Amino acid sequence: MSSPPAREGPAGDAAGRVPPYLRAQLPAVAGQGPDRADAQGVRPFVLTAGRVSGDAADIGLETQVTVRPAGPGGPHVPVASLASELRAIVALCDKPVSVAEISARARLHLEVTKILVGDLWAAGYLDVHAEDLSEFPSPETILRVMHGLRAIS
Amino acid sequence: MGYAPSPDRSAPPVPVKILIAGGFGVGKTTTVGAISEIAPLTTEAEMTAASVGVDDPGARTGKTTTTVAMDFGCVTLDETLKLYLFGTPGQTRFGFMWDDLVRGALGALVVVDSGRLDDCYPVVDYFENAQIPFVIGVNAFDGVLLHQIDEVRWALAVKDSVPVVPFDARNRVSVRDTLLMVLDKALDRAMLLRRS
Repeated sequence: MSSPPAREGPAGDAAGRVPPYLRAQLPAVAGQGPDRADAQGVRPFVLTAGRVSGDAADIGLETQVTVRPAGPGGPHVPVASLASELRAIVALCDKPVSVAEISARARLHLEVTKILVGDLWAAGYLDVHAEDLSEFPSPETILRVMHGLRAIS
Repeated sequence: MGYAPSPDRSAPPVPVKILIAGGFGVGKTTTVGAISEIAPLTTEAEMTAASVGVDDPGARTGKTTTTVAMDFGCVTLDETLKLYLFGTPGQTRFGFMWDDLVRGALGALVVVDSGRLDDCYPVVDYFENAQIPFVIGVNAFDGVLLHQIDEVRWALAVKDSVPVVPFDARNRVSVRDTLLMVLDKALDRAMLLRRS
């Protein structure tokens, strides 16, 4: 029937002779390894096809993104045929929206969001309104921010 | 007759940002929420962290990346200008390299709990070195300051030019006025840069 208790011991069976750091790999047969399709959640690098930095390096947290209007520069493939994460991003950009907001509302890691937004820009779905962030804001801009803030009560 | 382009209704506003920095639980999200027109949102971001010589036997320059949750909100100032407030975590064991985050920032409000000043040292160091205009806001929990402002300034050992002010993170007007002090410092810096 069942194995004698001794065989359950660390040195008694096959698993017992495998170093602890390799034991986790033992059941890595088809359908059970890390590639199984029913895994909870998708790893970020799957969404970005393994890339860790995007094409549009100037995308910041506050960078504004909008849907690109239909026209010569627009996409060749309808939005409906995109992956669900990409469709969700395009849907969020109906009105001007920041990259940080896209990340929060689409529940995607910020870095992943930046890469996907860069892809959607390159493919003609989105316009990315990148600002020059290398210069400190001008006194005029700061005065406008102060003016706007003072109006809040 | 000249053609005057009408403002494009779909044109996005110019975004500007102020960082709300400080240690865990000092009231960063409360500060953001007090003035933001949207309920604070959370994004998960990668940050490069340089460990500051804690239990580091080798001469490795220990740089690792850590995922942190960042709360943020925004204020539409007018049709063409939108202010974003990013609550940025500071942890005592890491000197975060916020280069990505501070790029283009107007300045920072460092939120301090006077009972736990340790939490904010790395943040203050970072902004001083990076020459980011900043103000230290001592959050008066329940309207009560645990320590005198002078004591806090002494303990933090910041330059006299850095304002250390009490504020109430739950109060919109108090947060607004503290942000205006950050903008005053930002204006000083912008004028200085223009003259040079």
